[in-house]
Amino acid sequence: MPKTELEILQRALERQKKARLQAEKILEEKSKELYDTTQHLKRANARLNNLLDEQSEDVDTAFLSVIDPYVVMDLNFDVIRTNESAKEFLGFDYTRESLNLGNLVHPDFLQYTRESMQTLLEVGILKNYRAKIYTKNGALKFVQINASLIHNNEGKPIAAQGIIRDITQEMEIEALLSEQRKQLDIIVENSPLGIVLAVGDRIIKCNATMQQMLGYSNEELKELTIGQISAYTDSKKSLKLVEKLNKGELDHFAIQKSYKRKDGSAFMAKTSVSSVRNIDGSVDYQVAMVEDITKEIEAKDKLLASENRLATLIKNLEMAVLLEDEHGKIALINSKFCEMFGMEAVPEELMGQKGADAIEQAKKFVGDPKAFDKRAADILKKRNTVLSDELEMTDGRILERDFIPIVSEGVYRGHLWTYSDVTLRRNFRRNLQAEKDKYSSIIANMNLGLIEVDNEDKIQMVNQSFCAMSGFEEAELLGKTARDVLSVQEKDLVLEKNAQRLENTSDSYELRVLNKSGETRHWLISGAPRYNEANQVIGSIGIHLDITDHKKLELQKESLLKELQVSNKELQEYAHVVSHDLKSPLRSISALASWLKEDYESVLDDNGINQLQMMQEKIEGMDNLISGILKYSSIDRRSDKETEVDLNQVVEEIREIIFIPEHVRVVIMDTLPTVCAEKTKMHQLFQNLLSNAVMHIENEEGLVKIFSEETPTHWQFSISDNGVGIPQEYHEKIFKIFQSLGTKERSTGIGLSIVKKIVDLYEGKIWLQSEVGKGTTFHFTLKKDRK
Amino acid sequence: MKGIVFTEFLEMVESEFGLETVDAIIEASDLPSDGIYTSVGTYEFNEMVTLLTNLNKIVDKPIEDLLYAFGLYLFSSLGKAHPEVIQSYNSPIGLLYSIEDHIHVHVQKLYPDAELPTFKILEKTDTSISMVYSSSRGLYRLAHGLIEKCFEHFNASAQVSFEVLKEDGTEVRFDVVQSA
Repeated sequence: MPKTELEILQRALERQKKARLQAEKILEEKSKELYDTTQHLKRANARLNNLLDEQSEDVDTAFLSVIDPYVVMDLNFDVIRTNESAKEFLGFDYTRESLNLGNLVHPDFLQYTRESMQTLLEVGILKNYRAKIYTKNGALKFVQINASLIHNNEGKPIAAQGIIRDITQEMEIEALLSEQRKQLDIIVENSPLGIVLAVGDRIIKCNATMQQMLGYSNEELKELTIGQISAYTDSKKSLKLVEKLNKGELDHFAIQKSYKRKDGSAFMAKTSVSSVRNIDGSVDYQVAMVEDITKEIEAKDKLLASENRLATLIKNLEMAVLLEDEHGKIALINSKFCEMFGMEAVPEELMGQKGADAIEQAKKFVGDPKAFDKRAADILKKRNTVLSDELEMTDGRILERDFIPIVSEGVYRGHLWTYSDVTLRRNFRRNLQAEKDKYSSIIANMNLGLIEVDNEDKIQMVNQSFCAMSGFEEAELLGKTARDVLSVQEKDLVLEKNAQRLENTSDSYELRVLNKSGETRHWLISGAPRYNEANQVIGSIGIHLDITDHKKLELQKESLLKELQVSNKELQEYAHVVSHDLKSPLRSISALASWLKEDYESVLDDNGINQLQMMQEKIEGMDNLISGILKYSSIDRRSDKETEVDLNQVVEEIREIIFIPEHVRVVIMDTLPTVCAEKTKMHQLFQNLLSNAVMHIENEEGLVKIFSEETPTHWQFSISDNGVGIPQEYHEKIFKIFQSLGTKERSTGIGLSIVKKIVDLYEGKIWLQSEVGKGTTFHFTLKKDRK
Repeated sequence: MKGIVFTEFLEMVESEFGLETVDAIIEASDLPSDGIYTSVGTYEFNEMVTLLTNLNKIVDKPIEDLLYAFGLYLFSSLGKAHPEVIQSYNSPIGLLYSIEDHIHVHVQKLYPDAELPTFKILEKTDTSISMVYSSSRGLYRLAHGLIEKCFEHFNASAQVSFEVLKEDGTEVRFDVVQSA
């Protein structure tokens, strides 16, 4: 081992030895120190114990004599000791009866009490434990307890001590205060007035109404000043007042000022500001009550406007108005009053004057001034509303007067006279009554039955004639169903007609009814709907005419017509039969006569032959007669074979057929028309007339002229001759069958009858002008358009 | 200053630099205790300063680094001496958090006259802690070493940064963030 290394080790070892000695010395010192300390502690402990004993007694005494109740209990809440105050407060004397504090605690606080006890055990002390407890006499007390643990010598907790403070009253006051605060809050929040709390210009609090009025939220308002929510001009004024308030010159002021809303609009509000001062008299804050009076101002304006309107209205009323106050002075009079009573003054001048003076002036127009005075005095005395008193004026006018007393809240305030001129109305009413009477009497006396029914066909009104027609009394009819009481045969028709009334239709119809004595009567009825004021159909009115007699005649006529038709037909058939039956023996006679002539010509002399010839001629005449009758009887019907007939051609054919004597000419003067007719009839018509004309001319130069002309409805033809003429007395007779004037063989007396019949058939007329010895003209017409 | 700091310092020097260095720094210093230290005794802080200064001269390493190395060493030896203290923690941050309230209380019981630094906790989460070291000795690097070693002991690592609040090192803020 090198020397240095050895030295180092020696030195290190030396240091370690010395260090050990040093350490041992330190330890010895520490041991001595420890012993001394222990001795000292023992002595100190003994001293302290004595001290503690003495002191704890002192403390106990102190606690026991404290004014507040003091209680010591074990950990099970059993009371160990209390002071006098506690005895008094709780009502229990622990020396006489055992007491467990846990039993006194109100049930609501048991859980809290357990938790508090736990805290006490853990921490050692308990502060401000608050609970409700029952005292011996059952009173409920709110207490606050401060408690601490008591430990035994080993440091284990064995008991707890506490000081009880009765805070019942305190809690009550607190509850009361909080209740009051709540109430106040409710009042403030629900107040219809805006309420603002401000310090200086700064807004501290606003209620809901104020927020609503301004349109700001509560938070927004708290950021604003009074100036910011006030309209500029008003803000200055109110700031001045606030300043005075602050200086103590004012405690309260009220102004009307205009506020600015969030949306920039403004509103007028009545604002009353009060200052709330603190103890030293300086202003803590201001309370402002704000009432939006925009509507009130509007209402005031409206009231004024409506008062003005009313005044104008009364002024111009078509009724004289005189309003007197309770002292008889004129409060209101209109120009109509002055006009009605011919007063020269204008209404404005009369206001405030005595009403009696105005009446006095008016009175000179009144027909009976004495009665007027008496009545007015009576009315004024009674002070009852009087309506429609009638006054006759000297000039014939009739006035209606109303008197209305004015009573406000039970107190008489005056009265109102109004006069209206009812002359016109009165006359009108009178006229109306007269008209009504007139029509009533017409209805009552007319010969037509009148009935009114409602929509259910119930009879509402009948007149006398109706009663007479039906045989029922009015009382038997009113309210009954018309179709039943009258035993209407066509009930369905009545229903149908009533339905038509609802559609505003009027018409006439016939009904068969039974009258009271059961006879069937035919009635013609004109029905029309009945309307009420609102123009609604409320039933119908019927006017009834008894047509039973007409009806009977009509029926008779119809049966007669039928009989006539039958006998006409029989006659026609008879003519046919007769003509046929007559013609065949006639032909036999004619044949026998011609055979006789042929066979015995040689035997017979000239005279015999001549007589046979004459027989033949008579037979021919007889044959013509029979043919004529046949023709006549067959003319009756118009056949359907009507065609366009050219009458010129017809006349031409007739010229060729008939025998025209040498000395006679037939001339067509106007070209004849073409007519729509049966050709054979036209033939018969012209042939008969022309044959007649040409036959009876004894003149040396006979001339028959045919004329025609057109009228709007008919064709008119004239056939004139210059023959023998027809005496006046035969002018009618000649158209009748079997009437002939001439003695010529060919005249059968049927021709003109056929003519007349054809003209009749074509709805025309035939007549003649004739002078004996000069000639005859037959005129006839034919209707153009026949049905 | 407590004797245990001196004895452990010399143990550190011996293990790091050899017995010769220990002898050298003691011999080079004029120490009132003559370099004789017992862990239960109490000695002048200046002696430590002298010892450090001389060690610095001999081994030519900055005093700060030497203090840091001592910190690393001291944690282990303190752990060996009082294992029950460290065992009551299950995380390095938990241990650091309790220095003031728990560990130093125990130290005070054994060494009532010990002059201990204070650690004021500024912020603490499950994985980080910020605190201010404050001591008239200004041995914050020693504390640094102790903190690092503490994490090592729990098989963890941490980002330890410090900010010197007072120039003489009597107040230093440590921000410790445990690495994941």
